[in-house]
Amino acid sequence: MIVLKSSDGETFEIEEAVALQSQTIAHMVEDDCVENGIPLANVTGEILAKIIEYCKKHVEGGGGSEEELKIWDKEFIENIDQSTLFNLILAANYLNIKTLLDLTCQRVADMIS
Amino acid sequence: MSASPSILSVLSEDLLVHVYGFLDPPCRKTWRLISRDFFRVDSLTRTSIRVLRVEFLPLLLLKYPNLSSLDLSVCPKLDDDVVLRLAHDGAVSTSRLRSLNLSRATAIRARGLETLARICHALERVDVSHCFGFGDREAAALSAAAGLRDLRMDKCLSLSDVGLARIVLGCSKLNKVSLKWCMEISDLGIDLLCKKCKDLKSLDVSYLKITNDSIRSISLLPKLEVLDMVSCPLIDDAGLELLENASPSLQAIDVTRCDGVSFSSLISIVSGHPNIQHLRASHCVSEVSASVLQHIKALKHLKTICIDGARVSDSSLETLSSSCRSLTEVGMSRCVHVTDIGMMGLARYCLNLKTLNLACCGFVTDVAISAVAVSCRNLETLKLESCHKITEKGLQSLGSYSKLLQELDLTDCYGVNDRGLEYISNCSNLLRLKLGLCSHFSDKGLFHIGSKCFKLLELDLYRCTGFGDDGLAALPRGCKSLNRLIISYCSELTDTGVEQIRQLEHLSHLELRGLKKITGAGLSAIACGCKKLAYLDLKLCENIDDSGFWALAYFSRNLRQINLCNCSVSDTALCMLMSNLSRVQDVDLVHLSRVTVEGFEFALRACCNRLKKLKLLAPLRFLLSSELLETLHARGCRIRWD
Repeated sequence: MIVLKSSDGETFEIEEAVALQSQTIAHMVEDDCVENGIPLANVTGEILAKIIEYCKKHVEGGGGSEEELKIWDKEFIENIDQSTLFNLILAANYLNIKTLLDLTCQRVADMIS
Repeated sequence: MSASPSILSVLSEDLLVHVYGFLDPPCRKTWRLISRDFFRVDSLTRTSIRVLRVEFLPLLLLKYPNLSSLDLSVCPKLDDDVVLRLAHDGAVSTSRLRSLNLSRATAIRARGLETLARICHALERVDVSHCFGFGDREAAALSAAAGLRDLRMDKCLSLSDVGLARIVLGCSKLNKVSLKWCMEISDLGIDLLCKKCKDLKSLDVSYLKITNDSIRSISLLPKLEVLDMVSCPLIDDAGLELLENASPSLQAIDVTRCDGVSFSSLISIVSGHPNIQHLRASHCVSEVSASVLQHIKALKHLKTICIDGARVSDSSLETLSSSCRSLTEVGMSRCVHVTDIGMMGLARYCLNLKTLNLACCGFVTDVAISAVAVSCRNLETLKLESCHKITEKGLQSLGSYSKLLQELDLTDCYGVNDRGLEYISNCSNLLRLKLGLCSHFSDKGLFHIGSKCFKLLELDLYRCTGFGDDGLAALPRGCKSLNRLIISYCSELTDTGVEQIRQLEHLSHLELRGLKKITGAGLSAIACGCKKLAYLDLKLCENIDDSGFWALAYFSRNLRQINLCNCSVSDTALCMLMSNLSRVQDVDLVHLSRVTVEGFEFALRACCNRLKKLKLLAPLRFLLSSELLETLHARGCRIRWD
């Protein structure tokens, strides 16, 4: 289990498989500096919760068929407001979660067009 | 756009680049206008551009420093002087340009090409197709670009062996060369090409008068993968047999319409290359005999086979399909002995079939089509021209099972009716639909197409006499992405129907030949609404008055090609058209009964520095001033005298 600490002091305990979707965290695990939990100074608790929700859904290499995942993604991304969306982009970029970054940027592109 | 600029400014530049990557081209145009940061993102990431007006070329090259691909094929007035001025302008950077499209840029000659080869250091890909003035001097100039890999010189009629030799000696890294229609090239040129450019992977020598000696040279190329020899009249079996020992990586060969070729020579090629993937021998082999089949059976990786026009029996077809199960493209047009039995065999074994051409296979019925639709779920292209036995039942199977169908050709299919169209409209991914010469469907059929085929891009209704204005009006409601529409000779159409075409914003190709009931009002509506119109054919629309042509001159700024034969355009309207439409490069002006010689003179002088192709009545050759004709010729315009 890995512990993540958000910038406003909240802690989240998640399974390693879920956390490893973030390349940044994966590198930290490799470098073995996750003893007392990982502090994420750029990410607030609210955003971190959303990210964990996304990673949990996408971890089992499924959690449903591809179609179901797509539908879930669609609902996930459509039910958040703009400031959350932009904060998600920044956080996904910082944590280096490619699929979430693509999803959020695609959403912004769709909003612009 | 709903997001306020302050939020978007939170995103750093690389994130903006990421978002930009998800936008399609029309949105990218608006993106540029939003803010300075967005503009910078666009400028830095854009890698390819198609220039429409030569005046903007220097500025555009300055704004986009990371361009790798430049398309100048639709840029009128492009000539050597423009290129020289670019070279002198030190600020413009062309050092990253890798791909240059100069197709139809007929006014560029040796001087311009030499300059381009000099300033674009990284040039790898050049297309000079259809530059009929491209001769040996131009080839010598281009040979200075030593890094060239991909060179397309289709229809460079003045290119001879000497020019080809210069290129071969200068550009030894060539790996893709196309010499289609370069009629002056002979065996000598090909021989030198094959001796010097050992990296050649793809070679197109279609339509050339080369003999079997060239094939001997080609067979020595060690890395050849793709060989196209369409319609080479002097090639025969003896020559093709030399290819048996050709490059082991040969994957694709095309000998369509080579009259001297029969299947026996193809056997030699095939036995030497068991991994061959694409075999095209349309309209040349006459029979698929048992011995031939023996050899084709061994081709486990065969993906494409085109034997149009050959005599194929049902049992041969079954043997073929049961052995070559990876087939994705099958061309059997005019194979008149194919019946449902053979087709059912094909459907049973070749489950990955994507493209199937059964034009003129008169004995194929609904049973065959249903079998194919049910088994081959990946079917994307189906051509059934002149298959008169197909009825709504076959179309029903297509609508229910062929969900990936993109292109359907039902030209001249007697059995297509409203019911049939209703079934077809269930293919929601349909992009291209051809219904030419089908006169048994009415407005109702078009209602179905218009209401369900949202992705439709091209629709051909040539000589479909069964529908009228209401049917036509139904199309713009649903098929909003339509970019190509042909309603030539649908004589019942009037202004009421034709006016609705203005709602098709993306329309670029429109053919309205022979619509005698439409007037200036109809044409004006189209001109105002279809801003992207690039190709317009108005031949024989005798009742269009000048008001239509004035509207065309004011609004249709993107027109590139126009056919006004037999129209009632006047002197002044023609002059307005030719001077205002600054992108027109191709015009057909035959049988304009109201235009005088003076009218032609003025109109052509107004556009003589942009035209590339012109068709006029033969007598005008002696009536127009020699000055005008010389200027046109010097700018690279080809005139066809009818």
